[in-house]
Amino acid sequence: MEKKIPITIDGREVEAAAGQMILEVARENGIFIPTLCHYPGTTKVGACRVCVVDVEGARSLVASCCMPVSPGMIIRTDTKKVRDAQRLIVELLWASGDHNCLTCEQNGNCDLQNLVYWLELETPRFSIQFPKYKQETTNTMISRDLNKCILCGRCIRACNEIQVNEVLDFSKRGSRAKVGPAFDADYIDSECFFCGECADVCPVGAITFRQSRFKGRPWEIQKVKTTCTYCGVGCQMDLNINNGKIVKVTGNRDYSQPNGGSLCIKGRFGLDFVNHPDRLKKPLIRKEKGGELTEASWDEALELIAKKFSEIKKKDGADSIAGLSSARCTNEENYLFQKFMRAVVGTNNVDHCARL
Amino acid sequence: MKVFRSHLLICGGTGCHASGSLNVKKALVAELIKRKLSEEIKIVETGCNGFCAMGPIMVVYPEGVIYMLIKAEDIPELVEEHLIKGRILERLLYREPTTEEIIPTMQEIPFFALQELRVLRNRGLIDPEKIEEYIARDGYQGMAKALTEMTAADIVQEVLTSGLRGRGGAGFPTGLKWKFAAASPGDVKYVLCNADEGDPGAFMDRSVLEADPHSVLEGMVIAAKAIGSHNGYIYCRAEYPLAISRMNIAIAQAKDMGLLGRDILGTGFDFDLEIYQGAGAFVCGEETALMTSIEGKRGMPRPRPPFPAIAGLWQRPSVLNNVETLANIGQLILRGGAWYASVGTERSKGTKVFALTGDVNNVGLVEVPMGTTLGTIVFDIGGGIPKGKKFKAAQLGGPSGGMIPMQHLNAPIDYEKVAELGAIMGSGGMIVMNEDSCAVDMARFFMDFCQDESCGKCTPCREGTKRMLQILVNITQGKGKEGDIELLEEMAPIIKDASLCGLGQTAPNPVLSTIRYFRKEYEDHIRNHRCNAAVCTALFKSPCQHTCPIEMDIPSYISLIRANRMEDAYKVLLRTNPFPSVCGRVCDHKCQTKCRRGKMDEPIAIKFLKRFITDNAPRPKTEPVPVTRNEKIAVVGAGPAGLTAARDLALRGYKVTVFEELPEPGGMLRWAIPAYRLPRNILANEIADVTALGVEIKCNIRVGRELSFTKLNKNYDYVYMAPGAHKSQKMGVEGEDIPGVRGGVEFLRDFNAHEDAWVKGEKTLGSKVAVIGGGNSAIDAARVALRLGADVTILYRRERKDMPAADEEIIAAEDEGIKIEYLVAPLKIEAKDGKVSGITCERMKLGEFDRSGRKKPVAIPGSAFTLAMDAIVASIGQVPDLTFVPKDCGVSVNKWDCFDLAKGSKSQTTDARFYAGGDAVTGPDTVIGAIAAGHQAARDMDAAIRLAGGEPAYEEPAEEKIIIPLIIDEEGEEAPQGKMPELHGPDRRASFVEVELGFSMEDAVKEAARCLRCDAEV
Repeated sequence: MEKKIPITIDGREVEAAAGQMILEVARENGIFIPTLCHYPGTTKVGACRVCVVDVEGARSLVASCCMPVSPGMIIRTDTKKVRDAQRLIVELLWASGDHNCLTCEQNGNCDLQNLVYWLELETPRFSIQFPKYKQETTNTMISRDLNKCILCGRCIRACNEIQVNEVLDFSKRGSRAKVGPAFDADYIDSECFFCGECADVCPVGAITFRQSRFKGRPWEIQKVKTTCTYCGVGCQMDLNINNGKIVKVTGNRDYSQPNGGSLCIKGRFGLDFVNHPDRLKKPLIRKEKGGELTEASWDEALELIAKKFSEIKKKDGADSIAGLSSARCTNEENYLFQKFMRAVVGTNNVDHCARL
Repeated sequence: MKVFRSHLLICGGTGCHASGSLNVKKALVAELIKRKLSEEIKIVETGCNGFCAMGPIMVVYPEGVIYMLIKAEDIPELVEEHLIKGRILERLLYREPTTEEIIPTMQEIPFFALQELRVLRNRGLIDPEKIEEYIARDGYQGMAKALTEMTAADIVQEVLTSGLRGRGGAGFPTGLKWKFAAASPGDVKYVLCNADEGDPGAFMDRSVLEADPHSVLEGMVIAAKAIGSHNGYIYCRAEYPLAISRMNIAIAQAKDMGLLGRDILGTGFDFDLEIYQGAGAFVCGEETALMTSIEGKRGMPRPRPPFPAIAGLWQRPSVLNNVETLANIGQLILRGGAWYASVGTERSKGTKVFALTGDVNNVGLVEVPMGTTLGTIVFDIGGGIPKGKKFKAAQLGGPSGGMIPMQHLNAPIDYEKVAELGAIMGSGGMIVMNEDSCAVDMARFFMDFCQDESCGKCTPCREGTKRMLQILVNITQGKGKEGDIELLEEMAPIIKDASLCGLGQTAPNPVLSTIRYFRKEYEDHIRNHRCNAAVCTALFKSPCQHTCPIEMDIPSYISLIRANRMEDAYKVLLRTNPFPSVCGRVCDHKCQTKCRRGKMDEPIAIKFLKRFITDNAPRPKTEPVPVTRNEKIAVVGAGPAGLTAARDLALRGYKVTVFEELPEPGGMLRWAIPAYRLPRNILANEIADVTALGVEIKCNIRVGRELSFTKLNKNYDYVYMAPGAHKSQKMGVEGEDIPGVRGGVEFLRDFNAHEDAWVKGEKTLGSKVAVIGGGNSAIDAARVALRLGADVTILYRRERKDMPAADEEIIAAEDEGIKIEYLVAPLKIEAKDGKVSGITCERMKLGEFDRSGRKKPVAIPGSAFTLAMDAIVASIGQVPDLTFVPKDCGVSVNKWDCFDLAKGSKSQTTDARFYAGGDAVTGPDTVIGAIAAGHQAARDMDAAIRLAGGEPAYEEPAEEKIIIPLIIDEEGEEAPQGKMPELHGPDRRASFVEVELGFSMEDAVKEAARCLRCDAEV
């Protein structure tokens, strides 16, 4: 059995596994430590510094997200020193951006907003000065307002380490540092794949989904777990629904396999078909040759197909029938389809559109 | 081997290359060929010699004669004189900046003599591009010993024993670092050399790489053996092309000789390395950022742990050492750790190289044992501060460090002491600052650097340094607010505490250290919009005006002289100064110390120009001002402070009566300063203007004698007390009360009161007079005594440069034949027949620095000697005589016999109706200081009166508009300050006629034209 490491957090004696970071142990034990840059599954960068804690004997405050526990460590997450540091850091971030919650898409779902409230900050001690970057609206999927960016680097790690698209990184340095594709290009002019991972991980309103702009506040949204219809991988995702309409699609790290919360451009943004007027919602039958297709019930349609297939099979044999299924069906559906063709129709003439 | 009769070692460091050593070398080669000396004399281009400010430098061996500031044109003469005729060419030798003594050889120049060279032992001696020369100086012997005789553990132990600590700045024990990396499992490990020297003002590492590249390679091979590494990198900034080129040559040579690469010295040990060029980001000097950069990524630090010893470059165990640390290793291993630890302090062993730069005479590289005092480095090795300016502080550790101020000149420089004083050792940049540096501006400069160099990864550093900088910029621009200092103090520890890497963790240090030592400067900027160093230009029109205690509009009157509009110029003088013709003669002209022209050649002769105006323009007429106020005001003391206050109050409509104890008004101007400096009629004219306004001056009335304090209190609504400081301080030596021992001001007062009797010989000092002291009144007393026919010796306990008296006064005294004995202090006054017969003195030597930044004189035991004297004048300082103020009257007098002021006030005493100013508040100060105090008191008294009566604040009457011409010369040519014509010959010594004759019109216009008009906004 793995040896447990005893440590003390805020006076509570808890046990940690070797190699665990202070933050993880605290969270496991229900002790809240705020974070901004921390994102599970990516490199522990220790950049934002709001997760600092007081460790007895340490030379300075310690970033809990990237400090491994050691036996007998005595940690305090709630000292004045810690809070003073957190306040200053959050004030600095607040004052360095255009954090205008009135119009922000992330209002109500913003880590910085939550932190300001949690630290009970009334107003920053510094004048608000943001860089006045132009908002990026040159593509239809992702909107970037870097005036709201807190340079936590989550998008960069999501892009490089989760999706491994390697599009985003920092450019420039110091307070002029900026996140984006190479040569400061807009996404549309870069190698960006528009997976939307960056928007999903952004803790503030800097990278958001354009389609859902003004389509519903976080508290109005109902999330419905579903399986992506675009391919057979079966990615799990949340449809964000407001007033019965899908406004956006978000990943969910809790869903684990197969996609672990990541999505691709299709599953993420290809949702306009759902409410498209051209979308077929009921079966159509052409009742007489040269006539119009007319709406029918599923029973009518299935009955007609069964009747016709039976006739064909009887007349020309089962191999005169072939089945072609869709890559947008799930794996299970495709399985059932081939089973149907083989066992019910009695032919091996089965194929699939995804032969690219 | 070929033998040469002489070797010429030309410095080929970057500094000397920049100052032209390559051309000098070219000229030398050509000249030797021309003279057919190439076979006899060898030229060697060495690495940095260290005395960078004096480059190009050449040392001629075997004599060891060092030539400096050589130009290619000097070469034919130099070859002719030294190498052919065997005569030293004096004009290219070193001249000691204070004594002007010429010193021919390196060993005797204090800059070199006081250093102890270990890291820099080969500097200026070997050709860095020849491995044989390094080997001839014991090079690679340490490595050979490490590879053939020692185990890895032995090496680590030896380094531990030496106590060597990381010279990059943090001071982590090098042996411990190696021990951790050695213990870390892994077959691939790296030895890295940090040559990313980026501190402003630091050039130690560059110099080592340029002058002795093999020492670094040797150190790296030894480190590799110690930790079990076979690969290394030198991370060197690309801005060091010469260092990189010499390192590459060194690497190639070492590989050729089997001292690097595979199977070193046939021991089977492999170690190879390459140079990785950094792109110049300061943060890449941080170890994790440096490694990230070598990995080809954006140079940003990463959190530790894991520490590099466990997971460094490419996640492999790595050791990163600074250039200087590694350069120590070869000799350390060869001679042993104990040898290394034989110098230094308890916890900081060995030597440290400093890049001494800034406001110091000897700019260059200095290697001294740890624990050498700051004062030794700055003054003894560094030769002190140029142009007689005062030392203010030294910045240690560059933008990550802090200032060590004057009061800590005795501090032994080692890791602990430096940290205790709020700086860090850093990599060894030592920037010396004089009184013309502004602490706030320095903090701003370094913060600007840090925020610019912040990588932007972590919030405290990225945003915190930006905001701290904004606050500092605001303060330097006069936009500071109350609370700014406190906000900085609040932010600084958090940024230090919460930042990810060393850059952010140290960036607030310069701010904290300047607040710690120079808080008053911050407050002055914020509250009074004053920058006493006259650096923060947003706060003033011109440095001279800003420096003048009464902010005289100097640029305006100077430009009016140039336009020959003397009457207007006089009006400008009188706007702020009721005594311009006095100040034109006896002002201490602080304005000139900050004159921008002084940075180019010499300051403008502002004082002389002021006098020129008052000598040559008719004085504007003064009209009486009617009394419009009911309040009666008394002024005690008719010196410059009292008379200025009286004049200002009269101008505001008050009835003012001045009480003066002595028979005539003028205070020190009348009773201490002799007529040869300030003719009586000049003073009288200016005082007449004050009485012309309606001010009544009652002489021969001492408060407490002719007029009781109670009566004064009862008869006047407000009282301004400016009685001056007219009592000499006692020397505290035996025999001080013997007749014939006088105080300086007492003697001057007596002389000025009974000039006739003294001149006629009815009163006399005797034929031999000693004057004790080094201030202006000591010089005055001496010059008066001389004029009375005495043989005068001034005895001063420090050196000439420490004398508080004005330089021109000292020169004048010497010119007149007064002897000055320095480093002498009185011990006892000898008497014979109840009269002074002599003075016994002790010789002094200079010891530690005192809080004023001067070396404290310490008596040399057994050095006592006696001088026969007829009279002694003790002029070592004055104190006010405030015995007229009754105890318990509400006006409080402090332990220095000066008035205490009410908290927050610049003139009100502890009794609200009594104000005070001048020497009686500050102790002995200047005329201009007293005038400023008078202005201040008048403003404060008037404001208090109006406030009490619920009246609106006083509005100055509109000034007459005087248009100031603006003539700016496109090309300023260097030209020294105009000389003041003086009386010469026997007349001067024997009479009290004014010595300084005044500028001619031509002199004045020429001098005025030197003004750079730095006040002009174009």
